[in-house]
Amino acid sequence: MDFKIRPARKEDCKDVSRMIMDLAVFENVADQVKISHEELERDGFCQNPLFECLIAEVPEEHKSKDGFTVVGYALYFYTYSTWKGRSVYLEDLYVMPEFRGNGIGKGLLSKVAEIGKEKQCVRLQLSVLDWNTVAREFYATRGALDLTETEGRHLLRFEQLNMDKLAKGASKERSFD
Amino acid sequence: MDFSIRAANVEDCKDIARMITELAEYEKVTDQVKITQRDLEQDGFSKNPFFHGIIAEVPEQHKSKEGDGKTPTRYSTRQMQVFGCETAVASDKKWLYLCFLGKGIGKALMSKVAQLGLAAGCHQLNFTVLDWNKSSVDFYLHQGCTDVTTDMGYHYMSCKGEAMEHLAQP
Repeated sequence: MDFKIRPARKEDCKDVSRMIMDLAVFENVADQVKISHEELERDGFCQNPLFECLIAEVPEEHKSKDGFTVVGYALYFYTYSTWKGRSVYLEDLYVMPEFRGNGIGKGLLSKVAEIGKEKQCVRLQLSVLDWNTVAREFYATRGALDLTETEGRHLLRFEQLNMDKLAKGASKERSFD
Repeated sequence: MDFSIRAANVEDCKDIARMITELAEYEKVTDQVKITQRDLEQDGFSKNPFFHGIIAEVPEQHKSKEGDGKTPTRYSTRQMQVFGCETAVASDKKWLYLCFLGKGIGKALMSKVAQLGLAAGCHQLNFTVLDWNKSSVDFYLHQGCTDVTTDMGYHYMSCKGEAMEHLAQP
């Protein structure tokens, strides 16, 4: 199947938002999605964007049953390791189910790695749910190591409410800056 | 104990590089540290920095026993990220000299990162910790975070070196 991978444009954000929701529904966390295409437009297409995004597109004659030609995306951003330096973090990789098995996921992943390499990144990192065996195998067969299994690395998170509480502690400290 | 928290500047990179090495020694992975003071200067203090840093500093009279004449500092690195469909802050590393533990400095650094993140519109603070590092795990859980690996089953994956080279080929 013919497909093209290209950088997302601002006008793609509605399609990206649609697919973010599809992915969240699949992961059973649809209620956790708080942002819409407007936040994506603001945060991804400003002077100092917080993320970059690639789109997978098919020609009109191969559009989805609902009429979409934008059928996959990869959303990523740059992070930093104090040991290794520049890294790229793959936040989301998604291909609409009816378009899987055509190399689109691999195409998106490779392009993120290529872009990361151009920016001198030495690592590509991501997280995956333990029950998502298809995704785990997809990444493992392409050389990703599971650091949770091999070195006991755990992902910790402060959600909004606890982040607020943590931040309130800052104003009580004796500090100047 | 009196201490202050401030934004790191380019002159702090020498101290930061030193403490990165010390943290790696503690985590038994010294051979994995590939970046230098110069990398930190270039990557943290250019036009589009890859990270930001904050420093905790004590006055001269409380300096550490290492006696190199410099006021010892702690640091934490953070970056702005989009995570889980929400703007988030991720913190990479935090390191404390043993003689300065128990003074509220770690908590102050974390609080400052959270404050800076919220001011920039972030809704989450994410980071990783090694499960055998009990004192760190306890510290963070006590501050109110959740272990997303234990609670939701998220595994942290990394592709590097040859694997990343191979992946980057079309």
